[in-house]
Amino acid sequence: MSQTTTPRRRRRNIDYNSPAVQDEVNNITHGTFVKQGTMVAFPTCFPGATIPILADESHITALDKSRQGFIYGGTSGKRAHIFVGMFHGVTGMILDMKAVDDATQCTAVCCGKTQVMACVNGPSGGGRILAGNLEPWPYDLIQEWGFNRHPFDDLGEAAAGEPIVHAVADTSRDHVVGVTTHHLFTVDFANPKIQTVGEVSGCGRLALGSKGGVFGCDGAGHLFRFDVATGKLQPEAFKLPDGHWSKTPAVWARVAQTGLLYTADDDGQLFSFDEERGFSASLGKTMFAPVYCMAATFDGRVFGSCGDGIAKLFCFDPGSRKITDIGVAVSLFERRRYGYVFGDAVTGRDGEIVFGEDDDGGHLWLYFPRIQAAKA
Amino acid sequence: MSRGIGRREFFRSSGAGLLTVGAALYPRDGVSATAAGSPASPETSADYKCKWYEFTEHKVSDTCWSLSVGPDGRIYAAACAEGVPGGIVKLTRYNEQKDALDYLFDLDKMVDDPGTSGRATQCKIHYSFAPSMHDGIMYMATHLSGPPIDQPAYSPWLSWHDEKRCFRGSALVAFDTKTDQVKWWETLIPKEGCRCLLHDEERSLLYAISYPRDHFIIFDLKTHKRRDVGRIGSINAQTLFLDKKHRVWTTNDYGHLIRYDPEKDRLEMSPYVLPHNEEFQTGWHSVFYDVAPAPDRESVFAATWIANSYMMRIWPNEGEWPRVENLGPNTQKRDPSVSRDTFVDHCGGLTFAGDGQLYFVASRWRDPVYNPMGPEHKEREGVVWRLNPATLEKEEVTCLVHPKEFAQYVSRGAVDHNGDLFFGHVGSRPSGIFKIEMPASRKRENAHLPIRMWG
Repeated sequence: MSQTTTPRRRRRNIDYNSPAVQDEVNNITHGTFVKQGTMVAFPTCFPGATIPILADESHITALDKSRQGFIYGGTSGKRAHIFVGMFHGVTGMILDMKAVDDATQCTAVCCGKTQVMACVNGPSGGGRILAGNLEPWPYDLIQEWGFNRHPFDDLGEAAAGEPIVHAVADTSRDHVVGVTTHHLFTVDFANPKIQTVGEVSGCGRLALGSKGGVFGCDGAGHLFRFDVATGKLQPEAFKLPDGHWSKTPAVWARVAQTGLLYTADDDGQLFSFDEERGFSASLGKTMFAPVYCMAATFDGRVFGSCGDGIAKLFCFDPGSRKITDIGVAVSLFERRRYGYVFGDAVTGRDGEIVFGEDDDGGHLWLYFPRIQAAKA
Repeated sequence: MSRGIGRREFFRSSGAGLLTVGAALYPRDGVSATAAGSPASPETSADYKCKWYEFTEHKVSDTCWSLSVGPDGRIYAAACAEGVPGGIVKLTRYNEQKDALDYLFDLDKMVDDPGTSGRATQCKIHYSFAPSMHDGIMYMATHLSGPPIDQPAYSPWLSWHDEKRCFRGSALVAFDTKTDQVKWWETLIPKEGCRCLLHDEERSLLYAISYPRDHFIIFDLKTHKRRDVGRIGSINAQTLFLDKKHRVWTTNDYGHLIRYDPEKDRLEMSPYVLPHNEEFQTGWHSVFYDVAPAPDRESVFAATWIANSYMMRIWPNEGEWPRVENLGPNTQKRDPSVSRDTFVDHCGGLTFAGDGQLYFVASRWRDPVYNPMGPEHKEREGVVWRLNPATLEKEEVTCLVHPKEFAQYVSRGAVDHNGDLFFGHVGSRPSGIFKIEMPASRKRENAHLPIRMWG
């Protein structure tokens, strides 16, 4: 039996009939959850027509958006899956495109112009890259439908024996740039062969800079820069700002219009990064750490998920330079569910944030931020 | 929904809260499910004497969520205080010599987590008694929701990251019923409560479901190691049950059976939705509320939690996925355009008695259209029903009688070694338990055997 010293508190005289106490109770009960905007959890299936991906195979750990606004994703768990979600037009479904045998983790999905590539790791061997065609628009999914699973090509291991850490499609969507635990690699969508660029230590996600460079952590103190056009890898291209960077793998959000990036250190300190100007000073600290994922909407606000066990959502508003606690994720429309862990986030077609739930029975969560009031 | 009787309001106005039961491993020799089903002479309600035992030594108790028979054949009940800032749970036991309750200990003191800590408190045991027959231990695990002593309410989501406020964790207590001593305790689930508990005695494993994250937890009693198998959903099922293959069963948010198979070490979901009212329900929230094993251990009887609960019999040892018999609704018809309060429309307390019949308590309430009961009835009643597992015929036995409050909400029921019925009550302050003295023809020695192994 463990012994702890517990401070004693005195009983408070609580009048449950007082409006102030009733407000307090309501705030404890309801104010905990999504405080602004709306979240909708969407199951990994075609509701009413298919079953979701098995609960312990549905930890969503990778997301990307195609040019037509479809959300491609990958799951981790007992078995990895590659899926596509469609939420516009007369769609409203997630198609499980492929269950990847011998793979238990999907670390990245990258959308090209006509193809998608997924990076998966298994319990043994190195991470593999699978390539398949993007899913075309279906017919009206309220009327009639039919889907086939198309084969994916297995391009093999990115680097022998090394798990893939992350990968991104470049701005042209002609190439994938990825990183294993020790190597940087590229794949050309048109000629899908894996090319090793050089050695780097892959300890987090990659990001596309404002000028098209691909950035990733280079050891614990720097970023490398890779120029896809020239094939030049520049080690230690930027020094990371003051903070703690050794524990948490890097995560990024990117503002589509400017290419401005955001990242967070181990403590949840936010920084912006511009390919020309480098890092900003600290922009503030999230309520909890680590930051697991984040994405930026069209007005520049950044939304993310932070904290272990029961994550909370946060918003960084570059206008006010404030970080706001948005609360615990909850879905009330169709699926009634709490959201505790999110593995990746991407900006949807209309600026909504799509979060991938990294949990058993994971859902895609669409977050529609609150519309900001116009200034008088 | 009407704000007539919300959860907090219900606890405050009537002084109450929820409960447990169990049974499983040990086949009972020579007794068939149909034995002793009918008494020699016609019975009336008066043959079933009902007595109320208030938690007089825990006056702020507002709920009795757990009531189970222990390995010693005696009845254990949790006097919970979940609506009280700083409230704690006390363990009680029915003393047949005194015809009164004994108060065994304050659980907060026993696990060094006092109600004055400023954290969410060790306020209740929620369907989490589990007996151990070979050594006479009664395992129990605590649950959360009682507010810190200086807060009017507690949200585990709000306070998850707050070290000063967050619930320390579900305390697992091993109580030796032979010596009345706590042999040991551990934190079963850090920061979370234990909604329900099950003991697989042959394998020395405890199974639990956590709240609020709804994770499936395995605790190895030999190594005292905990393993988190993963999340089920958002709505806790209120019961786990065990089959002959040592598989553990429960439900998910959408009314599907969930099965943990130790051979596969994973949670599997049945493709089928459990019985529900197709007029206004979808299966969502049709999670188990209470499950009682049939004496032959080939099937279980289960009631769902959602208002307009359904009764079903499940044959877990048959087929890839079990055969499920829909035994229909447990409570009355209603206006389907408006939801009923789940504290009014409820069914619980499933237990097999010494006569091999299933007993349970379902609520009944006055409704001017669907159930215009006469003045001889109370506004809300807890009706004790008997269901014959051989014929599936159901008959009303009696009504629970509370001296001051309505008695429609029963959490768990159990039969003691003498064959008398006990039910935990939610809906009064202080809370307490009911005893139904069974007619002699329906009693037998060691009526609690084979014992239920889950809360």
